[in-house]
Amino acid sequence: MARSRTESAMLYAVVIAVIIVLIFPLYWMFNTSLAPSTQLRRFPPVFIQPEPTVAAYQQIFAERPIGLWLRNSAAVALSSTALSMFVSVLAGYSISRIRARGSQAVGLFFLMSRMLPSTLIIIPLFVSFRQLQLIGDLKSLVLAHATFITPFAVWMLKGYFDTIPAELEDAAMIDGCNPLSALLRVVLPLSAPGLAATTLYGFVLSWNDYVFARTFLVANQKAWTVNVGVASLKGEYLTEWNEIMAGSLIAMLPIVLAYLFLERFLVSGLTAGSSK
Amino acid sequence: MTSQASGRGERLGAAAPRWSLWNPANRSLFAYLLLLPAVVLTAAIIVYPILSAIDLSFQRIKIAKLGRSRAPWTLRNYEELFQSPEFLQAIWVTITLVAAVTLLSYIIGLGTAVLVNQRFAGRRAARVLVAVPWAVPSVMAAVIWWWLFDSSFGLINWALVRSGLSSQMIPWLSTQGAAFFVIVVVMVWKGYPFISVIMLAGLQSIPLELYDAAKVDGANGWNRFRFITLPGLRSVRGIALILIMLWVFRDFPIIYILTGGGPQNSTQTLAIMTYQEAFKFHDFGYAAAIGVITLIISVIASWFMVRRSDQPIY
Repeated sequence: MARSRTESAMLYAVVIAVIIVLIFPLYWMFNTSLAPSTQLRRFPPVFIQPEPTVAAYQQIFAERPIGLWLRNSAAVALSSTALSMFVSVLAGYSISRIRARGSQAVGLFFLMSRMLPSTLIIIPLFVSFRQLQLIGDLKSLVLAHATFITPFAVWMLKGYFDTIPAELEDAAMIDGCNPLSALLRVVLPLSAPGLAATTLYGFVLSWNDYVFARTFLVANQKAWTVNVGVASLKGEYLTEWNEIMAGSLIAMLPIVLAYLFLERFLVSGLTAGSSK
Repeated sequence: MTSQASGRGERLGAAAPRWSLWNPANRSLFAYLLLLPAVVLTAAIIVYPILSAIDLSFQRIKIAKLGRSRAPWTLRNYEELFQSPEFLQAIWVTITLVAAVTLLSYIIGLGTAVLVNQRFAGRRAARVLVAVPWAVPSVMAAVIWWWLFDSSFGLINWALVRSGLSSQMIPWLSTQGAAFFVIVVVMVWKGYPFISVIMLAGLQSIPLELYDAAKVDGANGWNRFRFITLPGLRSVRGIALILIMLWVFRDFPIIYILTGGGPQNSTQTLAIMTYQEAFKFHDFGYAAAIGVITLIISVIASWFMVRRSDQPIY
């Protein structure tokens, strides 16, 4: 598989060109966030800031409650992920290990629920939450996000539990564990990487939500998540693009970092069942 | 050690077998107990809402009356829907958007996957960089591209005018056709990495010996791609395509933030129409009817996906 020098040089040229084109929007976001306001309405555009400034970051933090939005997003993501993980670990284990009548149907239901259109489910949820007076309350989001985290987590976890040999639990039970403590003491520690990945992805799913957060929280600015906040900047500021880009960059940073850890897990999870 | 011994001793020593959840005969009961919390939770936040959405879709009901009284059952919402040009347009927009985004994401995704599957120094970094847009939340993707396509100071307009491709600044998001194009670009940018990473996993599962053997037999690059790579990807391709189609079909934030479905409904998909009827026009019964139709389409598509996987589900 040896390549000639021209071939290698061409390969590198193509790889670099493709990456530049695909990543350019992110570079442009970063570049704009470091620009002084005076530069935003002038042509030609500046591709490399001669004097980068963090003024936009200071401005956006001073003018808008970004810290509060980030805290709200994190609180909702942690709570809905915790709730979903609790029920999903038990359900995923049950579906993975025990062939009980009807549990196959339950598993299929979770699989199909992953494809539920949020624009449909939001209508009856809005009606129910209004009756329960949860509109404007972060609790409404915790429940709403569980609608899409739980089905995903059940299947991701079932996949990890499938990879752990049942002999290990049998051995633990011979040693006096009951099935529940075999799950807690043997299976869960062994599936720690899978649990961590599923938890992190649940967090990402919740953090990325826009439709539920916008609909349930729009009237209560104190409860806004960072996505609702950032999307609102665009309407208000219109041309202060350096601040909008600075805010967006902060809001997406945790998620981009999470993906660096998650990619491997997600690929194996998504292609499981199809590649064999 | 002592606890193990005594545990076993108890079990062996019991004269009359006491009822125990841990008894293998009660394995099914144990399975149901483990499922119970998830079933209760999803019954409350998924099953009940779906049923009440179906119920709503058969009522003429506006937001003010919701939850206080119920209207009599009627098929009016569905009748109105199938006669509405707006609904037919939304179906058309949905189909063209799904087709365009899926096709372009597939081409770019497969291309980048093949590219970063080559052996070269720095390949790991290239793989991460190619996949990065996947990680960008939809809201941020929409906002970034909004700025790039900005009608007065956006980089794309500047580049088009500067290069002579356009004689004037294009008001992208307020022009029919142009707005649709912008939505396609943003979705492809966010969607291709997904295809790319799945295809890369598929490529890595193709044995290298096949390529070596084909080379010995004198197959050129295109034929190796055509007769080894493409068939080797068949199993992952189906899942990747269905997942991306369902994503475009159901997406809300990108379209809502960029155009809200406009101008003149030219970017209004069924998902956006459902939302707008409910939360802009407060016509919950009508919105629920559109939503129920999107649900049926999603269920059919995901059913195909479930059936496609070679392995049984268990």
